[in-house]
Amino acid sequence: MTQDGALSGVSPESSLNLHIGCSALGARRSSLTDVTPATARSAGRPVAQPVVATDGLTKDYGSVLALDALTVSVGHGITGLVGANGAGKSTLIKILLGLVPPTRGGARVLGHDIATEGAAIRATVGYLPEHDCLPPDVSASDYVVHLAMMSGLPRVAARERTAEVLRHVGLAEERYRPMGGYSTGMKQKAKLAQALVHDPRLVFLDEPTNGLDPAARDEMLGLVQRIGRDFGISVVVTSHLLGELERVSDHVIILDGGRLLRASRTDDFLDATGHLLLEVLGDGGQQRMIAALVAAGVEAVPKGSMINVGSGAGVHDLIRDTAADLGLGLVRIQIDHRRIEDVFADA
Amino acid sequence: MPDLPEPHPDSQAHPSSMTPAGRSVIHDLGYRPYTGPRLGEGAIARALVATGFKNAFGLGRSTKSKVLPFILLGMNLFPAVILVGALTLFGADELPIGYAQYASTTQVLLSIFVAAQAPVLFSRDLRHGSITLYLARPLRASTYALSRWFSLLLACLVFVFLPLLLMYVGALLGELDFSRQTREASMAALLGLMLALCITGIGGLLASWSTRRGFAIVGTIAVLLIGNGIVTAIQGIAQEELDDQRLGQVAGLFSPYSLYRGLAYAWGDANEPLTPPTNGGLEAAYAAVFVGLSVACLAGLVWRYRKLAGR
Repeated sequence: MTQDGALSGVSPESSLNLHIGCSALGARRSSLTDVTPATARSAGRPVAQPVVATDGLTKDYGSVLALDALTVSVGHGITGLVGANGAGKSTLIKILLGLVPPTRGGARVLGHDIATEGAAIRATVGYLPEHDCLPPDVSASDYVVHLAMMSGLPRVAARERTAEVLRHVGLAEERYRPMGGYSTGMKQKAKLAQALVHDPRLVFLDEPTNGLDPAARDEMLGLVQRIGRDFGISVVVTSHLLGELERVSDHVIILDGGRLLRASRTDDFLDATGHLLLEVLGDGGQQRMIAALVAAGVEAVPKGSMINVGSGAGVHDLIRDTAADLGLGLVRIQIDHRRIEDVFADA
Repeated sequence: MPDLPEPHPDSQAHPSSMTPAGRSVIHDLGYRPYTGPRLGEGAIARALVATGFKNAFGLGRSTKSKVLPFILLGMNLFPAVILVGALTLFGADELPIGYAQYASTTQVLLSIFVAAQAPVLFSRDLRHGSITLYLARPLRASTYALSRWFSLLLACLVFVFLPLLLMYVGALLGELDFSRQTREASMAALLGLMLALCITGIGGLLASWSTRRGFAIVGTIAVLLIGNGIVTAIQGIAQEELDDQRLGQVAGLFSPYSLYRGLAYAWGDANEPLTPPTNGGLEAAYAAVFVGLSVACLAGLVWRYRKLAGR
């Protein structure tokens, strides 16, 4: 997946594009200050090279083929990695961290080769594992300081960064209590804090919303969005809940049985129908509107209390005129968003 | 860094976020990147060793976890305090218990200490999955294993050396012969180092194979104390019943404490144990097995964590 298409229409920082290399940390930062949320939303970070690029990546565990010749590239911004359990998401992350050697193929993360530069990758990448990873008898504050030092930060800097990151993820006074007494939501926040404490350039978030209640889930997704858009850190986030990823991610990669099913911008998944949803107000409005639209040669079918109208040139004008002719109130016209689930249905 | 209120979710990176390490911050700057130094593997490993050493004594953990190590440390020092007290009070012309003999006398305490504290450094990360967080950081798996091992070694050395130091200082204050005391104390320190290396290796290796603290404790105590009991029984039978010194000497190769006893008698000022090594060849064999066992355990630890990282 490339992001080049995403750059069109974004001007303020495109002059900085050339500076954004894997080692140009300062350039990434200076672009951050220029980006308003609106432009960051659509463009993410400008691309000089992909954050992650795999080439024929294969992992054969003998009994299971976890990854099957996967060639994919991840740009800046927030990328959702979707797949059922066992689709190879976690294996891919471990290979990209340089922990597990691939059977065949290779990959580069932030410009570093996974085979030879694992330590360099792990120094600038954050990782939130899927399973529990917090000792119960240590406070979040102490533990995140320790892990910041394990990423190479000096003690004083580790303390400062920890206080800051814990504030960003929203752990308040409870940060001084042993983590054994934390709720799942608080544990996930602590896990997120340790993934961010060394200011990585890329974070892998493996199922960050797993086990959270709806409110905590929304909060976590909001945090993921802030990390990608406001903090200027590229995010690869996995989930088996597609609805979550279409909310937060700029791009979606779909894995199925270790193979790439599809990779593209989230918008492309969602806007591919080109259909409109229409709501009208009036006596028997839905039926009369449908009849009139069909008579005018436009595809129109009921969808709940709304009307799904097929695409075509001048369809907006036609809808307006038809509604006016029939004396119906036009409550709304909106784009009929598809769900990422539909991609699986198509496949 | 003062504690600032949670910023509004829509708050964006402010241009002033580029100012380095803000002081006297009164408003929320949003996310600020880290531009300071990032230390290398050596510095990270040193930090891990220091934290591990403190954790081994329960420091930096809950109050409850400080109780056992410090009680054991106190009990281990207690006889030395008595010895020094007796020495200064009654003015004896030598220590009632030799330096090298001391670790043999208190071997139960050392065994319990290693059995109970090795899991703090090794099993805990495996049990709670926090090993993943270390492995996802620049430290290599082998460096992680070596750092953990070194933390435990330092803790064991404190345990072994503190009473020796106390006795040595006491002996000098009691105006015993300086050169003899220094010679015997240094030999005991060398033997203590060998013992600590071996015990650390065994305790660490067993703890790294057990995600449960209880299993690690029972396993380590079984290997160290019961192993020593069996060897001692065989040595006793060989000496008293069979009159077969060689059988007892060979049996002595199979437990760290019997190795220590043999060498402490041969090289140091310890009392004569059952079936001690009686010639240079045997002494060399004892020393070789002692060191070899330590090295093998350390290699096993490194191998174990390299395997873990690749899963």
